[in-house]
Amino acid sequence: MVPRNIVAAIVLILVGIGYSVLTSNLPTREIEQTTEPSFFPWVVTVCLLALSIALLAQALRGGTAYENLVAFGPEVGAGRYLAGFVAFAVYLVLLPNLGFVAANVPFFVVLMAIYGERRPVWLTVGSVGVSLVLFFLFRELFQIRLPAGVLAAWLP
Amino acid sequence: MEMSADIVAGFSQATMAATLFATAIGSLLGLIVGMIPGLTISTGIIIVLPLTFVLPPDISIALLLGLYVSGMTGGSFSAILLNIPGTPSASATALDGYPMAARGEAGRALGIAVMASFAGGIFSFLCLYFIAPLLADIALQFHSQDLFSLVLFGLTIICSFAARSLIKGLIAAMIGLMIVTIGQDPMMGTQRFTFGEVNLIAGIHFLTALIGLFAIPQLVDNLVELKRGSGHLARRFGSVLPRLTDLKRIRVPVMIGAPIGAFLGILPGAGGPIAAFISYDYAKKVNAESARFGHGAIEGVAAPEAANNAVTGGAIIPMMTLGIPGDPVTAILIGALLVHGLAPGPLLFLERGDFAYGIIFSFFWANIFNIIVAFAGLRLLVKVLATPRALLMPTIALLCVIGSYALRNNFFDVYVMFGFGLLGLAMRWLDMPVVPLMLALVLGRQLEEQLRVSLVSSQGDVSIFFTSPISVGFLGLAAVSVIWSLAAERRRRRKVALGSVSDI
Repeated sequence: MVPRNIVAAIVLILVGIGYSVLTSNLPTREIEQTTEPSFFPWVVTVCLLALSIALLAQALRGGTAYENLVAFGPEVGAGRYLAGFVAFAVYLVLLPNLGFVAANVPFFVVLMAIYGERRPVWLTVGSVGVSLVLFFLFRELFQIRLPAGVLAAWLP
Repeated sequence: MEMSADIVAGFSQATMAATLFATAIGSLLGLIVGMIPGLTISTGIIIVLPLTFVLPPDISIALLLGLYVSGMTGGSFSAILLNIPGTPSASATALDGYPMAARGEAGRALGIAVMASFAGGIFSFLCLYFIAPLLADIALQFHSQDLFSLVLFGLTIICSFAARSLIKGLIAAMIGLMIVTIGQDPMMGTQRFTFGEVNLIAGIHFLTALIGLFAIPQLVDNLVELKRGSGHLARRFGSVLPRLTDLKRIRVPVMIGAPIGAFLGILPGAGGPIAAFISYDYAKKVNAESARFGHGAIEGVAAPEAANNAVTGGAIIPMMTLGIPGDPVTAILIGALLVHGLAPGPLLFLERGDFAYGIIFSFFWANIFNIIVAFAGLRLLVKVLATPRALLMPTIALLCVIGSYALRNNFFDVYVMFGFGLLGLAMRWLDMPVVPLMLALVLGRQLEEQLRVSLVSSQGDVSIFFTSPISVGFLGLAAVSVIWSLAAERRRRRKVALGSVSDI
């Protein structure tokens, strides 16, 4: 048995069922000789459910032998992954309010630390330097107005 | 416009100073991206893509083509110098390239790799130049049912190539198709699965999805690489320019690698790594001194390098003529063209023949700049391999965020990108390939449109797909690819059961 595939198949079946419920609630159009907006989602639903059931059956039978050999697991400490994701999530929440430079600098410091940099000077120079270079590069050269947020008054 | 006029206009477009400059910059970036282990060409193009939105489409595509072509060559640099292939396509190059570097012939190996890449690239340019317009002419005869069957074939062949488990490959494609149905219905404009969110009305921008799917898992991968550590850079370089005797010796391997690469490039999903290994194998078989292979034979560097660069032109053929990507990079290039309001496919040659030929000639220049930039800057470029990952990876993370935002000046897309990153990681945990999902995102809308248009024209009669010989042909090929893949999976299972896992 491949527990990962069983979990995946069950999740996919649930997703398929949820998707079919949403599909059945799609508005209909009273136009002759045409296909409804729900037509293609129904095709996808049927295929997804059939394939998910096939995956479940395959997993219950023992899965493909190859998959049993595939090892996937964190090769580095889980803390490093967790720190990365928490940093990313916090960054995304703060980004609209802080703006690109103010949010990027601490985010960059955390990521540098996660990737093994410990020297304070490098952390400071790297995070401030790259954040500012990217901000002005996009704004001045590529004409993409990145929100400056709380630093709008200080940035030229 | 007449075809010859299109050729002239395309050549002028590709040879303008700004376009050439963009191609050269693309080549430089490609060599850098390609040689950094842990950065794929797809990720490199995805990172650079948002920067090209402000550029005219011809210049933008020229830059991306430069990156694509040189990225393939760049992959061989780290394979030779560090024994770590910069791209999967360079894996075969490491077999003989690294032993050469270890015995102090790094420069010779790099020179051979660049020359063979150039020869493979030029061969694939010729294929592209001569085959693409012919194929586009044929594709113009296709009706909606034929196009539906073609797209379906494209999806099935990619699922069977890209996945170790066909079921998982197809499931990944279905997830992609589910995502494609978010937003306005392509036929009637009805909103589907938008949950009242205005940002979803236009659907999920597939480039946002691609950034998340490719870049976030790669940032995680690099944490793992960090633990493993990187190889040691070969210190002795030697001469880079190949000797005449070396060029004579690599003639046969290049002649083997280039056609194999171009042919496999045309097949959706086959890609560079397969072409490189097949070419290496053939070059070894035909060589009288095959025992030298694996111990630093220049033929073992030339064959895979010619093949993986020949794949690039091959992969562009179905992209330009049929709108079907030959590999993940060309799928992203389709996205880049769509962002600029240009739909690749047979109509591109009919309606914008000048632009289509412009792409072909930009591909030619990309190969020219590849060899120029590689030879001119090789000694300097390899210093990039020493760039600390602690600086590179956070920069990539920021570029992903800025790139997602820049697509529509919208924070919503940044959240979507992150969500797709998590999806990419979950799929990796499940050993589910992301390539079919990505291609479903690119081709899904077209698949739905052609299916529904066909059914409307036949008044709901599904036999329309079985009455057109072209459609039947593609459906037959789709069935063959699925059956072939199932049979291969069964063979693999049997071998593993017998304890022979060496070939998987």
